Amino acid sequence: MSLSKGFDALAARALDTAVARGATYADVRFEDGRSERIDVRNGAVATLSENRSTGYGIRALFDGAWGFAASDDLGEGGIDRAAARAVAIARAGAAGATRRFGEAPTDAHVATYATTVLRDPATVPLGERVALLLEAERELHAAGPAVRVGRAWLDLWTADKTFYSTIGSRIAQSLRQTGSGISALAADANEAQDRTYPGDVGLYGTGGWELVETAALVANAARIGEEAVQLLAAPQCPAGELDVILGGSQVSLQIHESCGHPAELDRVMGWEANFSGTSFLSAAGLGTLRYGSELVTIVVDNTLPGGLATAAFDDEGSPSGRSDIIRDGILTGFEMSRDTARTIGRTTNACVRAQSWEYVPMIRMCNLNLLPGDVPFEALFDGVKHGVYMESNRSWSIDDHRLNFQFGCQIGWEVVNGKRGRLVKNPTYAGVTPQFWGSCDAIADERSWVAWGTPNCGKGEPMQTGRTAQAASPARFRNVRVGVGYDG
Amino acid sequence: MDKSERETLAARVAGFAGAGVASEAIVFDHDLGLTRFTHNAIHQNVAQSRTSVRVRTIVDGRTGVASTNALDEPSLRATVARATALAAFAPHDDVAPGIVASDSATPPAGAFDEATARADPAARAAVARAIFAAAEASGLWAAGYVTSDRSGVTVANSAGTLASYDGTSCAINVKANGPDATGFAETHAVALAALDGEQTGAVAAAKAVASQKPRAVDPGPWTVILEPAAAGELLSYFTDHFSAQAYEEGSSFLSGNLEAARAVTSVSLVDDYAHPLFVGRPFDFEGYPTRRVPLLERGVASLVTDATWAKRLTRPNTGHGSPAPNAAGPLPHYVVVGGGSKTKARLIAETKRGLLVTRFWYIRPVDQKRTIVTGMTRDGTFLIENGEIVCGVQNMRFNQSILDGLARAELAGEAIRTGGYGYDMVAPAVKIEAFHFTSGTDF
Repeated sequence: MSLSKGFDALAARALDTAVARGATYADVRFEDGRSERIDVRNGAVATLSENRSTGYGIRALFDGAWGFAASDDLGEGGIDRAAARAVAIARAGAAGATRRFGEAPTDAHVATYATTVLRDPATVPLGERVALLLEAERELHAAGPAVRVGRAWLDLWTADKTFYSTIGSRIAQSLRQTGSGISALAADANEAQDRTYPGDVGLYGTGGWELVETAALVANAARIGEEAVQLLAAPQCPAGELDVILGGSQVSLQIHESCGHPAELDRVMGWEANFSGTSFLSAAGLGTLRYGSELVTIVVDNTLPGGLATAAFDDEGSPSGRSDIIRDGILTGFEMSRDTARTIGRTTNACVRAQSWEYVPMIRMCNLNLLPGDVPFEALFDGVKHGVYMESNRSWSIDDHRLNFQFGCQIGWEVVNGKRGRLVKNPTYAGVTPQFWGSCDAIADERSWVAWGTPNCGKGEPMQTGRTAQAASPARFRNVRVGVGYDG
Repeated sequence: MDKSERETLAARVAGFAGAGVASEAIVFDHDLGLTRFTHNAIHQNVAQSRTSVRVRTIVDGRTGVASTNALDEPSLRATVARATALAAFAPHDDVAPGIVASDSATPPAGAFDEATARADPAARAAVARAIFAAAEASGLWAAGYVTSDRSGVTVANSAGTLASYDGTSCAINVKANGPDATGFAETHAVALAALDGEQTGAVAAAKAVASQKPRAVDPGPWTVILEPAAAGELLSYFTDHFSAQAYEEGSSFLSGNLEAARAVTSVSLVDDYAHPLFVGRPFDFEGYPTRRVPLLERGVASLVTDATWAKRLTRPNTGHGSPAPNAAGPLPHYVVVGGGSKTKARLIAETKRGLLVTRFWYIRPVDQKRTIVTGMTRDGTFLIENGEIVCGVQNMRFNQSILDGLARAELAGEAIRTGGYGYDMVAPAVKIEAFHFTSGTDF
């Protein structure tokens, strides 16, 4: 935290300058971000890089309009220019405006927070990190030359950031995120089939090297390579109205796309209308709209241990907590910022994040979790006359109201009379959000509940890459349209 | 940071590696202003400034990369030292091409507009207000953005390469919203003065008005006329098939069978940074001059390469590399779609029954090798009957092989620049027979 201490004087200067220029409220977020990326591809190290980026973003409020300016000039002159620019931008937005979106907060917080790390990645020599990935990648090729591309990767991200505001907040957070994964591409003259592990992007969370150990890349690599090759000759997934059992990482994606995004209140209010779209939800549906079956309860929990978005405060200085979005299948809440929450008579649930210092904070889904059910994973197959068990996403698309979706998975197994049967390729399914969640009639218990991280969520303009998590267990859905895209 | 300052910085940093170490420095300098609005009011207004340096060093066939935005000498020297230290942990790669000297490349004229580089938020707000007025005149609300952007990049390496590019760009992106219909329009230009908020706003508003009370139509095979935004986004999921890496590794429809391109005879795809609507960067991120590549012309396919894939496949380097080394492989960045001569109005007039699609949303590959993608229509889809636009229709989902669609495509002649999530292209309207819609919506 020594770095944040060094920002105190610069922060005071930035806030003083903003107020002197006319801001009624201002905050500044200094961030020192570091990342390490190792990407092994077909026996070669395709990427071995470190990045460091330090800077700050200033938000200024003038007459109900926000201005945001970001800079990496840490000199006093740079601070002055950025603060003045933020206020000038706010003034330009306020001029002639007929609506006022912004209001100054009143609750100040002084706090420090650091991610719990069980094993600091820095204690693992770089040579060992590279060697682990090379070994895992080599194992992917155990199935033979049909594996055309093997990949193994590791991301280590750290962000030390300190938030200051004109009402007295000073929040220093030291966040650590780690992720790793492997993938195999098998191809022949007619087919190309991908398999990745864990899930479809790897295993990502807050924490340290313990996440890489949990991923067990080497132990699973030969199986993943073999499955990719088997898919080349596998029969096509059957088409029709079938029962579907989704693996945990695919349920995570289903939550992300068909619950997380539509429940972002900025989207509901039309703030994302031209890009990410709007939402089929409205505040009028709170407490009454049936989103899914009674088994479906989805909560924001930005304190979840290990969740990729876990932090003590969001990027507008609000404390993290837990709140319902869907309770027993009924819509009960949204992901909110201060300004958006106020419009529906609620208070923020601290879902505001920025990609880094240079981006304006905006509503993100953070950790959004489907609470586990009460049956073991194996019980999901019981009572399925004809269905498909699908794992690991390959394709995802949903309309700009978040209703009509179509997802494809990397691998499937036909389920007949309660038994998992033959491997099938190209499994896809499609549906409409509330009907699909309404067809959920079983969720596996906490033994298969995993906080799946999504390190690449795009939203906003300029577009920002968000890091979210959706903890989930495998789940079963009845009478789903299967095979779209391959059914002629 | 201007060109001269970047070149001095890049050459200095590349030199920090010392004798015996091949090195490369890329300096990126970026200043973005973006004014975003919704409900005919500005709700987000931002400025971002950043200068960063990326260093690549190669020691005994081993490569390391480090980057920073701290530009003081100790930080820069530490970054070079870190790249060199990282290289020691990479395995020896005897296929990698190393760092070599490149010929110089001359940027196309007209890529930079001084007034746009200095544009202030008030100038963007003025454009936004003109958009609001156009929307309000039709009883609609507008959501979108106005940008003004200045960027510069310099690549220098220890073999003597020095390449620089400076450009400005700006854009309007607007969605006009009514009670039951929306409309979209966009404009891209080098100079902010070329943006016309009133006109772009009016186009979006006219679409929203024309698509009010949209009808439901049945999914199935339809004749479609894709306006440039729809065609551009669709084809952005096709152009990566012309990467030498995708070709060699088996994920391209061309892999092992360049003849597969023969099915498409009426569409040309050319990667051309110098096209007047792009006036783009004339070299890649290894400093190598970018060639004009006819990716697909009269049924003949060509691949783009970078230094690595040129060496591996014994092909010419076309200068399409990302910062090296990378897992993405070479990619075309300035694709111009052509091959037609009719007007869009003529394509519509010649359509007995079909759909006019303004824009797509959330296109994703379903089957990469077969070029099957899925996605949704958005912001203005219209029914055409007997050569006339008769009404708006509710949005639909499609599943379509792009290759199959292009085999039965007819193009309009006039192209515009269109850009969005992950793509930037010059494209005309494209008519495709039997485009496959698979489901609908109620909006």
